[in-house]
Amino acid sequence: MTTAQFILSGWTWNPSVLVTGTCALVIYVASFRDGRRIGWFAAALAVFLLTLLSPLNTLADGYLFSAHMAQHILLLLIVPALFLLSLPRTLSLAVGPRLFAHPLAGWLAGVGAMWFWHAPALCNAAVASRPVHALQTVSLLVLGGLFWRQILAPREEECLSPPRAIFYLFSACVACSVLGVIITFSPVTVCSIYTMPAMDRFGMLQTIRTGWGFSPERDQQIGGLLMWVPMCLIYLTAILAQLARWFAQPASPPAERMS
Amino acid sequence: MNEIASVLGRAGLLTAEQREHWKMAWLSTVDHKRIGILYMVTGLFFFVIGGFEAMLIRLQLAVPNNTLLHPDTYNMLFTMHGTTMIFLVAMPVLFGLANYIVPLQIGARDMAFPRLNAFGFWLVPLGGIVLHFSFMAGGGPAVGWFAYAPLNETPYSPLLGVDYWALALLVLGIGSVSVSINFIVTVLTQRAPHMTLRRLPLFTWMIFINSFLVILALPVLNAALVMLLIDRRLDTHFFLQPGGSAIMWQNIFWAFGHPEVYIVAIPAFGILSEVIPVFSRKPIFGYEFVAGSTVAIAFLSLLVWAHHMFTVGLGHAVDLFFVASSLLIAIPTGVKVLAWSATMVGGRIRFNTPMLFCVAALVQFLFAGLTGISHAVAALDWQTKNSYYLVAHFHFVFVGLIVFAILGALHYWLPKMTGRILSDRLGKWTFWLMTIGFNLTFIIQHFLGLAGMPRRVYTYPALPGWGWMNMVSTIGAFFMAAAALLFVWNLAASLLSGKPAGDNPWNAWTLEWATTSPPPHENFHELPPIRSRRPLWDDANPDRPDPIIGTKWKAETTVPEKNMTAVITFIISESGFFGVLILAYLFYNATPQPGPGAHDLNLLKTGIFSLCLFASSFTIWRSEVSLHKGRQRAMAGWLAATILLGSVFIIGQGLEYRGLFQSGLVVSSNLFATTFFTLTGFHGLHVCVGLMALLIVLGLALGGGFKQRPSPVLRAVGLYWHFVDAVWVLVFSAVYLLPHLR
Repeated sequence: MTTAQFILSGWTWNPSVLVTGTCALVIYVASFRDGRRIGWFAAALAVFLLTLLSPLNTLADGYLFSAHMAQHILLLLIVPALFLLSLPRTLSLAVGPRLFAHPLAGWLAGVGAMWFWHAPALCNAAVASRPVHALQTVSLLVLGGLFWRQILAPREEECLSPPRAIFYLFSACVACSVLGVIITFSPVTVCSIYTMPAMDRFGMLQTIRTGWGFSPERDQQIGGLLMWVPMCLIYLTAILAQLARWFAQPASPPAERMS
Repeated sequence: MNEIASVLGRAGLLTAEQREHWKMAWLSTVDHKRIGILYMVTGLFFFVIGGFEAMLIRLQLAVPNNTLLHPDTYNMLFTMHGTTMIFLVAMPVLFGLANYIVPLQIGARDMAFPRLNAFGFWLVPLGGIVLHFSFMAGGGPAVGWFAYAPLNETPYSPLLGVDYWALALLVLGIGSVSVSINFIVTVLTQRAPHMTLRRLPLFTWMIFINSFLVILALPVLNAALVMLLIDRRLDTHFFLQPGGSAIMWQNIFWAFGHPEVYIVAIPAFGILSEVIPVFSRKPIFGYEFVAGSTVAIAFLSLLVWAHHMFTVGLGHAVDLFFVASSLLIAIPTGVKVLAWSATMVGGRIRFNTPMLFCVAALVQFLFAGLTGISHAVAALDWQTKNSYYLVAHFHFVFVGLIVFAILGALHYWLPKMTGRILSDRLGKWTFWLMTIGFNLTFIIQHFLGLAGMPRRVYTYPALPGWGWMNMVSTIGAFFMAAAALLFVWNLAASLLSGKPAGDNPWNAWTLEWATTSPPPHENFHELPPIRSRRPLWDDANPDRPDPIIGTKWKAETTVPEKNMTAVITFIISESGFFGVLILAYLFYNATPQPGPGAHDLNLLKTGIFSLCLFASSFTIWRSEVSLHKGRQRAMAGWLAATILLGSVFIIGQGLEYRGLFQSGLVVSSNLFATTFFTLTGFHGLHVCVGLMALLIVLGLALGGGFKQRPSPVLRAVGLYWHFVDAVWVLVFSAVYLLPHLR
């Protein structure tokens, strides 16, 4: 199969994803009628659907470790962030156990999701078994939400202050890029299932290996690099947003004026 | 000698009662101003040495097929020139400048830890002596400032030069980390009331951000140096075949080396951000963008080291990612260049010497940035990597930006330090000699590089054009040497008979100009009100003050406890060190090494000893709680329990080592043994340091030193102890548990 054919036919019409997406849209529109931030929600939904339905998902499903990594990053860092941004600014997230609101819990959720699912056995299981795969997808979205709520909670007072947020994001970035460095330079295979795809449902293996030049080694390298470089740029974007928040000129309180 | 004392006295650098014992007054000082000057004088001293080495290099290269220097001597000279200029000139001078200026700019009395400050400084001369001692021990290092493996290993560099080089850099690295921890804690905890973080002068802001870069990057180098020394002294193979990896050295070195470029460049950015507005008579254009882009630059600099390794052959995929991320650095640096240029637009510019140097630095840095972008493109980098094009590029950064900015800063701030103005006429001569000399030396080296002249080779054949181009370069170098001499002349003349500077000779706006020149020992008698980023402007122009920078965040005004802040910063830097050692362990043991391996370790026994260490985290926490409740005896008891548990762990580790030694496993047996002993050994060393700290705390507690509760000292030491335990969780998992999971 050629690349063009694959892009046209590599879509998966996964009913559970479609139903989840539709339900989310209905619930969002019904709950937040003013719809001023629906653009963010539409973006979150679009990324969510494209990640799980587009040919990227097909590639991640047994062909390419790097495609899996792209999916992993999109689900953990992009979709939850866009979703939190779509919430109305008055909504409080201070529900549920206090523990989840602790910054350390958020940090561990974001970093842990990266490390946990790249233990070789779990990485393989998530490809080989449908239920594990579904569990992985859901957990990434939830853990990503826990991670980002420290930064992007709709209410200002529920977010970390900018210096803390920058420290939070920077240390998370280091903790994840260490894993990226390990995967990039590791002499052993992290996710062995991708080196020998069990079945070549789309007849794409030939094209990927020779046409695209993705040998298993290079595939893993690109996967590691995605986690190392572009993912850090996501954190960097968030850090710059925090700096903008930090330096935004406030109306100075009268007491200060007098001193 | 009394003349020196009287000159120092007249320049306000000695008080009347110190004249008699002026040497001790300076050698034993813990005053940040004197330490700053000592840093700078030391840097100037090594600048003369490094400059002399550069002149010899240029003389050797002046004509083709020159035989002035022996090839080995040449190799030593360019190694020592690079190492000296970076570690003994650029860093000490910038640290010294920051040491002098930062406390003044934030209205503080001194640095947060004056004795630590003195310790950090005295490591610089020690490092310099250790480095140069190599010449007496058989020969200097001849491996380049980056000492690539395996050239840096015993079979290829059998003399002691590399050992002294590594030892010296280790000493200097520890000093750099300690002074940077001090900067961070000073900025966070010693600011005058109302000097909020968002009102910081840009120089201080950049030193603050830069210090984080230092504490993250230098420990990475320290880890590499430790591994190199173990290789060389204990016959192991981290970076040497069989088994070792030369690429590993490059990865670790450049993980430090790229941030290092920014460690010396960001303070220079800070200088430009102070001088350009003052001499343009305008506030800086886009303070927020200049400050924010510094964070972006610091962040990106940690991310792009592989662009130094395009020619190594890491593979297309790796190259592509690092081309992209390296090109990104152009954006925040471009923002800075734009902000400085926009500051000058429409200003009433005064072209005094400091401004001249800073404008030249700006233009030359722009040029360095453009050639830098060309190096970020891997395909072009392959062609120019080991040529004079690269030499020209990084000298445009190091000299064109950093040395020029330092000279600008010295002409700007020396009147504050000595109370005497420098001659502007001599300063302008210095400037023009320096600018002409610098551009003569290095512009032409771009063309030499593009014509294919390789770097680090002691001579070259008489190819068309190479001879005269090199001659031009050498002549330019002599102009620069003349400029340096003229600067020293100007400095001496100003100390002896310079005009008094007054408090604020440049009509500048930051707090260091609010006190006398030189400032009194305690820095300030009173501070002007601080409501904006330019308190002295507001003071002088009450009718049109700067817009007030309000306080919006609690974090801007809260003052954290200084011991805790210091320990947290120290832990961050230690994480870098252990991170490298753990990664090295994982890398070398990813596939089982031939010979003994992790399976030969006794998981159960070490597990039990580990439980003792983990339990000690609990006991130290109980100790803090007891102190908080005012129960002194219980506190001492829990503290003693902690020390006991820690000692049990260390004894357990000693027993384990003895067992391994008896079974014939030593550090040089194979790479497993090397990485195992290195990682666990350094952890053990940290446990011992922690135990010493705990013993001191226990001694203080028994002596009744903790009447004030809760004691920040106990909390700080406790935090460090938790960190040591947390590292063991990682080490234990990686070394003992991981092999059983496979």
